[in-house]
Formats: sequence, C-alpha cells, structure tokens
Amino acid sequence: MFDTALTTNDLIFLAKGAGMTLIVTAISVFFGTILGIIFGVIRYQIGPWWAAPLTFVLDIFRSIPLLIQLVLANAFVTTVLGFRVSGFAVACGVLSLYTAAYCAEIVRGGIEAVPQTLRRAARSLGMTWGQDMTSIVLPLATRVALPSWIGLALGVMKDSALVYIVQVVELLKSTQILITRLQEPLFLLMICGLFYFLISFPIARFGSYLEKRWSND
Amino acid sequence: MKTSFFAFSLLAVSAVAMPAQADKLDDIIASGTLRCAVVLDFPPMGSRDENNNPIGFDVDYCNDLAAALGVKAEIVETTFPERIPSLMSGRVDVAVASTSDTLERAKTVGFTIPYYSFENAVVANEKVEMATWEDMKGKVVGATAGTYEAIWLEGKVKEWGVGEFRPYQTQADVFLALSQGQLDATVATVEVSEANVKSGNFPGIKIVDKAPMVPDYVALITLREEYGLINYMNLFINQQVRTGRYAELYKKWVGDGEPASLIVEGVYR
Amino acid sequence: MFNYNFRWNQALNSLPDMLQGALVTMEIAILSMVIGISVAIVLTLFRLSGNRILSAISATWVEIARNTPALFQIYMVHFGLGGFGVHLSPYLSLLIGIAFNNAGYLTENFRGALKAIPDTQTRAARSLGMSSIQAFQSVILPQMLRISFLPMTNQMVWAILMTSLGAVVAMNTDLYGVTSDLNARTFRTFELFAIAAVIFYVITKVITLSARLLAARLFRY
Repeated sequence: MFDTALTTNDLIFLAKGAGMTLIVTAISVFFGTILGIIFGVIRYQIGPWWAAPLTFVLDIFRSIPLLIQLVLANAFVTTVLGFRVSGFAVACGVLSLYTAAYCAEIVRGGIEAVPQTLRRAARSLGMTWGQDMTSIVLPLATRVALPSWIGLALGVMKDSALVYIVQVVELLKSTQILITRLQEPLFLLMICGLFYFLISFPIARFGSYLEKRWSND
Repeated sequence: MKTSFFAFSLLAVSAVAMPAQADKLDDIIASGTLRCAVVLDFPPMGSRDENNNPIGFDVDYCNDLAAALGVKAEIVETTFPERIPSLMSGRVDVAVASTSDTLERAKTVGFTIPYYSFENAVVANEKVEMATWEDMKGKVVGATAGTYEAIWLEGKVKEWGVGEFRPYQTQADVFLALSQGQLDATVATVEVSEANVKSGNFPGIKIVDKAPMVPDYVALITLREEYGLINYMNLFINQQVRTGRYAELYKKWVGDGEPASLIVEGVYR
Repeated sequence: MFNYNFRWNQALNSLPDMLQGALVTMEIAILSMVIGISVAIVLTLFRLSGNRILSAISATWVEIARNTPALFQIYMVHFGLGGFGVHLSPYLSLLIGIAFNNAGYLTENFRGALKAIPDTQTRAARSLGMSSIQAFQSVILPQMLRISFLPMTNQMVWAILMTSLGAVVAMNTDLYGVTSDLNARTFRTFELFAIAAVIFYVITKVITLSARLLAARLFRY
C-alpha cells in the first residue's frame, strides 16, 4: 500500500488544493457570518410577519442542493448576464449566501434564548437598544450560538468540496486529478479524507467541549 | 465579493460607454492570452506529466494557435460534460477538447472544420467474454456523460432493451470503473484506448473490436456568433496540415503511421 | 433585457423526465432515512453496550460520517469498495453513501436526546422486572425518537439534498442525474437547473410540512 508513485511535487499539488479549500471556506464563513448576523437581527427585530420575504429567500438556500445553487448562479451570472467572473468568485459568493442562510437561523435562535425579562431589566436601567444588544444579548447569545456556528463553519468546509463544479480546483478535485495520473484511487482518497478529518475533527471536538461546558451552569 | 461587485458595475458602465464592436478575436489579441479548455484525462490528447503540468496533442494544438495569434496560451482543465458550459460562461475563449461536431451542439456553439478524426473502439474488462462489439448487448456499459460515444452507446442500450448504461462524469472514472470490473465494457476513441491499455495504469482491460460508428470528426469550438474567430481557426487548421505540423503532432503523441484523414469524401464542405 | 436567448420550451419538454427523476430522488431519500435510523439505533446500542470494540465501531462511524464531505463518502462507496472487488450499482452506491452519512449524524442526535431522558426511568423499568432490552425498547426508544424528531426531519431534508451528489458515481435516474444528463446533451444549463431547483424546493417543503403534520398527530398528548 505504501509502495506509491506519489512524489513531493504531487504532495505540493495536493497541499495547494487543500489551501484552496481553506481559502474558499474562510472567505465564505467570514462574509456569511456578517450577513447572517445582519439577517438574523433583522428577522428577530421586525417580527416574523414583516420578515417573511427575507425568511423565504434565505429558506431557498437551505432547500436546494448546493450543487444546483452553484451551477445556477454560475450560469446566471456568466451566461445570462454575460459578466466575466471567475469560478472562484462565484463559489465564494454562493457559499457566503449559503452560510448566511444557516447563520441567520443560528443568530435568531441565540437572541431568542436570551430571557426577555433580562433585556427588559437592561432597558429599564436606561440602556439604549444598542447597549442592550452589545452588552447583554451579544455575550449571552454567543454562548448559545457558538457551538452551532462552529458546526456550520465545518459544514461549509466539507460542502466546499462541491465547488469543483465551477472549475475551482480544491482538495477533492486535486485528488481526482492525481488519481487520473497515478491510478491509486484508494491510497489517494485516504489521504484526502484524512486531511478533511484532521481539520474537522479537533474543531468539532472543541465545539462539543464548549457546548458541554457552557450548558452546565 | 466586494471587488467583484465593483467589477460588475465597472463592466456595466463600460458596456454602455463603449459602442465599439470588438469581437472575440480582437479581445484575445488585445488581452494577450488565449484561454483554451482542454480535457486532461484523455491521453494522448490531454493529460498531465509528473509535475502535473498539462501535456498532449490538444495542449500543443492550443499552444500553436496561441503562437499564431501572437499571444500566451492558458490551459484551463475541463471535463467532457463541462467543456461547453465553460465556453458559454466565458471562462475560456475556445475549447481544444476533441469535441465531436454534432448538430445538437451546433445549436449552442460554433464549430470550425475538423482538426482531428477518431475511430472508436470497444474496450472491455478482461474477465468478460467478448468478441465483437455486439456482445455489449445485455452488459453493463458506460462512457463519459454527454460525449459522442456516450450518446451512441446509450442509444444502443435503449435499442437492445437489455443491459445498463452508466454515464460517468470523467473519462478517468470510466476507465477506473472498467478496470475495477464495475463496467463490463465501454466505447472510447482508439487512440485513448490504446494509450490507456499501454500505460498499464488500468490493469485488466483489453480492446475488443472497433465500434461501428462513422468517423468521429472533432473540431475546435467557440461561441456561435464569433465568425471572425471561427474563420481564423479554420485557416489555422488548414495551415497546420499544410505545413506538416499536424503530421508532426500526430507522430509525437499518437505514433507512427498515417495521420487521421480530415477529408469527408463526396461532399463539398 | 438579457443578451441571452431563453429556450424554456426545450427545457419544459423534459419536465416529465425530471418529475420521474424526482420520484427516484424521494425514494432514495426515504430509503436512506429508514436504513439510517435503523443503523443509528444499532450504533446507539453499541455505544451504550459498554463493550469497548462495539463502542469504538460506533464512535469511528460517527466521526467519519461527520468529519468528511458527503461527496467523498459516496465516491468512496463506489470506487473505494470497487477497489476491493465490491461492485455496487450507482443506485446502491448513492443509497449506501447517504445512509452512511445519515446514520452518523442521527447517532449523534440520539446521543443528545438520551441525555434528556432521566436515568431513573431505566432503573424504574428494570425494577418492574423488564430486561435491559425491554426497558430500552419500550421506555427509552420511543422517547428518544420523539425528542429527535426535529433533527430527523432536518436530516431527511439533507438526504434529499445529498441525492444531488449521485452524478459522481454515474447515477442518472434521480432528479439531479436526469437534469445533468439533459444538460450534457442540450446545454440549456440555466433553464434546466432552474426547473430542477423549483422541484427540489417543492420536495423539501412537502417533506418538512408533512413532518410537521405528522408530529402534530403523533405527539399530541
């Protein structure tokens, strides 16, 4: 099994693919989280009735396969509108909105978990809405939301394997390219799977550790 | 994201502001780069060397075209099902990707005159008893989704009414499945089949028979409305044959022997 | 408005084929959930068994399913097992790949649900003379399934979305497979995938709504 034609060059090639996976994930999680917080606060603030259009749009991102979202967005922006946009930009755009759709739910759940009475108490102490949000809601909601958010970020990393469809060469695609040349599918797939696992597993563990620690008191 | 939105608006503004009719040929020369879609799991037409750089007949052909235009070539890897979408999405300027000139595709993209012509072979797993192409009847067969061979083969399976057809996403997956025994047989171009059998990368496969298909003429493709570029490439293909470069590339990638004829007998063009 | 000629007619002609594919998609999703839930119950029992090897199997399964991409898992089922001479059809590869993923996530959900069920219940059941299996089956299991009903609904939606990954193992009868096959032939990418997106949306909505109705019926007390 370890008698392989894999060279250092190939490992560098794989590492580049892994780098692409991490970059796409980082960009998407960053913008997705910012958007998600904005959408989540809006949804909570204006109530379910007025937020219905926003809820509907965000729900679409959670009800259609990511693969189809990528293909559609790519076809729409480049073929229908005729813009020259790289596959990388399309991938980051779609994944950001995808992240935002899930993040908005997490944020809303986090805010709802903060007891109303606590917030009323804060406001009656003379705090403004902004002060209430930053000093009362933010720290408490974060405790509730952070473990789910970690799960979301890891989910986005795994889902980023699908951006191959818009010609972004990430980890799984680089693995397939090497398989084409070297014909060692099992060995190469193991390496690829191991990489995802090594990134995801410790962070997931950390997430459940936080969840356990914070839910005890 | 921000920068791309900025780029969007910039593009939108420039599209309104510049009524000049620069076509793709002008754009390529002005930008200094020719972006070619090439399929890289299709040896000897396209593959990767040990440093994972693209090599092959199609890669050289793209480089020649870029040299003729006086620009730099950029090879963009695509799979067979993805090559026309990547052209439509403006990710590449042309596809040098062994694209069969079917009438269905011509509804969407513009074809040049043929630059190569394939014959197709039936390749089978060694453990499967097969003597002629007709023995594929009732077997599990497969090919790369959307290719000329795949459409032919799926049609045959439907006509026979027995057996199973599986469209894989890449040529490499087809041969991997064949080598593992998941497929009993496939149809692939003779060149590619021979290269794959010879490389030893796919143990346990053998060439059985020629597939009874008309010669598979493949052409360069670009957007349907880019007549300027299509004219240029037609002349380029003619020149490649005339100057002997075509024969040279054939010898380099496919082997000794007469290069595949690009003439269709008995028809004007 | 757009510099693009929509050919909706051509795409809409394929609607019957796509709806047929939607049925296959739902079939795979439902089967994968049935298998996934059953396996997850077994894995939960493994974890509770106190046997080291059995709980290690359970833990490994859960961690691999949760920490690698689903696309990777499905590809592995087809070409990975294929390397060992285990040949599965595209349909089975996709079904098993999704069921594997479902089982991993559901086992984790069940673990969370079990925490919410007081230990004293098991003890009470045992002291009534039930065997540990009886106690699990008739006291713990129903509550566990009830508590994890919402996560199970979510997983069901995931299962539907995951069927779209079947194309990598040459699956061409489900909704995504049919669409991508048509696309490889006619290149009406936007039109075809827009229709597929609408169908997927409707399926997921139907699933979540019927799950909600089912929950209202089942858990009325």
